[in-house]
Amino acid sequence: MTLESADKPNGPATGGRTEAGSLRVLELIQSLGLLSVILLCGIALTVATPVFLTTLNITNLLFAATIIAVVAIGQAFVILVAGIDLSVGAVLALSSVLCVGLNMHYDVPVAVSVLAALAVGALIGLVNGLAVTALRVPALIATLAMMSVVRGAAYLYSGGQNLAPVPDIFVDIQMTRLFGIPVVILFTLLLALAAHILLTRTTFGRSIYATGGNPVAARLAGIPTARVVVAAYVISGFMAALGGLMITARLEAGAATAGVGMELTVISAVVIGGISLFGGEGKIWGVLLGVLLLGLVQNAVNLLRVPPNWDYIVSGLVIAIAAALDVYRRRYVEAGLVRRTQRKGR
Amino acid sequence: MTVVDPIRTPVLTARGLSKSFPGVVALDGVDLDLFPGEVNALVGENGAGKSTLIKIMSGLYRPDSGELRVGGEPVPAAPAAAHAAGIATIHQDHNLVPNMSVAENILLGHWPARHGFVSKATQIERASRALAMVAPHIRPGTLARRLSPAEGQLVEIARALSENSRVLIMDEPTTSLSGPEIERLFGIVRELKSRGMAIVFVSHWLEEVFAIADRVTVLRDGHMIGTRPASDLTEADVIRMMVGRDVEALDVPPRPVGDVVLDVQGITRAGVLDNVSFSVRAGEIVTLAGLVGAGRSEVVNAIFGVDPRDSGTVTVNGKPVRPNNPIAAIEAGIGYVPEDRRGQGLVGQLSVAENLTLASFHEISSGGFVRGARVRTIVERARSAMRIRMASPEVPVSTLSGGNQQKVVIGRWLARAPRVLILDEPTKGVDVGAKAEIGDIIVGLAKQGVAILLVSSEMPEVIGFSDRILVMRAGRIVREVDRASKSPETVMQYATMGQGAAL
Repeated sequence: MTLESADKPNGPATGGRTEAGSLRVLELIQSLGLLSVILLCGIALTVATPVFLTTLNITNLLFAATIIAVVAIGQAFVILVAGIDLSVGAVLALSSVLCVGLNMHYDVPVAVSVLAALAVGALIGLVNGLAVTALRVPALIATLAMMSVVRGAAYLYSGGQNLAPVPDIFVDIQMTRLFGIPVVILFTLLLALAAHILLTRTTFGRSIYATGGNPVAARLAGIPTARVVVAAYVISGFMAALGGLMITARLEAGAATAGVGMELTVISAVVIGGISLFGGEGKIWGVLLGVLLLGLVQNAVNLLRVPPNWDYIVSGLVIAIAAALDVYRRRYVEAGLVRRTQRKGR
Repeated sequence: MTVVDPIRTPVLTARGLSKSFPGVVALDGVDLDLFPGEVNALVGENGAGKSTLIKIMSGLYRPDSGELRVGGEPVPAAPAAAHAAGIATIHQDHNLVPNMSVAENILLGHWPARHGFVSKATQIERASRALAMVAPHIRPGTLARRLSPAEGQLVEIARALSENSRVLIMDEPTTSLSGPEIERLFGIVRELKSRGMAIVFVSHWLEEVFAIADRVTVLRDGHMIGTRPASDLTEADVIRMMVGRDVEALDVPPRPVGDVVLDVQGITRAGVLDNVSFSVRAGEIVTLAGLVGAGRSEVVNAIFGVDPRDSGTVTVNGKPVRPNNPIAAIEAGIGYVPEDRRGQGLVGQLSVAENLTLASFHEISSGGFVRGARVRTIVERARSAMRIRMASPEVPVSTLSGGNQQKVVIGRWLARAPRVLILDEPTKGVDVGAKAEIGDIIVGLAKQGVAILLVSSEMPEVIGFSDRILVMRAGRIVREVDRASKSPETVMQYATMGQGAAL
């Protein structure tokens, strides 16, 4: 409605800089919403239990969050183009058993087995992407089928056993610290930064947002939208396989059972982080905050000894509340944003 | 044809109906009387206000001022109230639920139920009663998706009518019907008329209008031009009433014209386009004119590779352009400003700058990275050349006014220096000031030697801008009108010629 009424020439472009500035402030408030929820949870936990604010606990929390974060970054690309990838948990498991199994059974160098696992992840993403674009299978169905197939392949390959021992380098990387911070955490932040730059600074990133925001307009502007969508699924598959390597290091085993149900956690984190399920909207650092909030909830459930089985219910409620709060806050911020620019525009 | 006795009391009277939408007055003080037992044909160009008037009569729109009475009683502006007052409406688009039965469709939302359980027997019985009047041959149990378009139409009529219906409004009911089906529909219309129903019949086809109407009502730019007995009018009279506004002093002088740039030969798409051929020279403005649904947008979609084509070729500067591929069209030097700005032109969430450079990734990046300085150059050039008014290039494009949004879509192509620019209804939904500015931009581009292919329903634009006008009807170009002989009457005449009429 507000947009309709804007069919009038805008006034002279005075104060353009300050307007852009205040837009940025509004965006900041938007992300601060999630940040403040996280801080409140943190403060509540600090008060509730002395164990929370210890280096050990925080490191553990972040460590656990890295795997979800890496897979979520990949998922974010897919959701940005208005798709969804349910196969990530299964891809993570297949990657895990492959990187250990290839090395164990065929005596290939670790580097080769690791690259093979990543390549398989990317290949699965490619198949997902082609199914969605060339065959026009709905993403939900295509990746659901893929999830089942890939999980089955992981069980077949491992014979249902945990594959161990893992190559030493997995254990070593897990232990390595730089400036006192585990490198796995630094690596995850670096990946997030790379994804952020890819999305905000490159023409590929523009293509992702345009394809997700309005596929018709993007196609008419000459953007190869089908290829962009396929690329997003490839990235998701690759990142899920990378998550598989990380979980292998953490479990010190190749586990076909790893990541069951993880796709839902990952999608929750992405959506809580402000990436619209309708595509074309959202930022990577929002995803990191979403992952952090979910990690915090899991941590709280563990620390506060929530009785087993109740923890599912608690996690579910927190996700629902966080998502609902986010929707409301965004609606208010957005309404304010449109009102402001329009008033200014008159 | 029955001669309407003016002393009879009208069943429906509308007085001073006005309705404005942001930026446009859709209806301005319209009076209308409908008498029992007459067919009143409502005609006018696209955007003349026919749809708005129909929507007010059927209670979908609340008029800003004026009132509507049926049988002397005022009718509140609500669909249920209009229906209760005896106004039945068949809307233009088909509104049947395909996987429900005819009976379920006729009683849509009012299924006879007890404690939530639908009584099939009652449903069939009521539906049969409704069908009896217009289509006794249709079985109530048939699934709606198995009906032909004509049968579907009859079911909609059966649904719209109730025992107390006194006015039937039909918005372009013949669009998807064949010749014999139209005849059958007219038979039913005459039958309803003989029972004293007042019928409002909207059609673009003047032949049909004269075949069925007792009186003809002409709207133009939201004003009532007049209601006259059909027997007193000729097609030429009606066309003059439809277009006879003062065509504003919009006459773009001719420019030097170069070689053929865009050449289209024999584009055909089954059921949509039939052997469309034409060419546009450098610096020339060629307009595709015609009524909505004549195939104008389909032609440009086929040229730009948005829609597939069965046969035919498109060349730019003598080089063939691969079909079905907008990227190939863009690389050949074609730019396309689609009709639906928000749906097809812009990515609303992205900023003005991002939308302006959406087709120029090559120009704004190196090594895949976007260079801010290059973006700023392009944005600044577009902003000053087209006077795009915005708070900042960083604001979401959806916050701009309609005219400025359109300039952004046009500006996207300027960055690529196109050889051919296709603009589909470029001034639709923009205010008068922006209209003039967009017109200036188009003429400016033609002066620079860009071949311009325009699709427009705005008669002053069609007449004022064009070096040549290609009039389309039913997927074909039926007439080429040159500079010397262009006039609104000529264009309307060829655009509205009946479907079966010979050339």
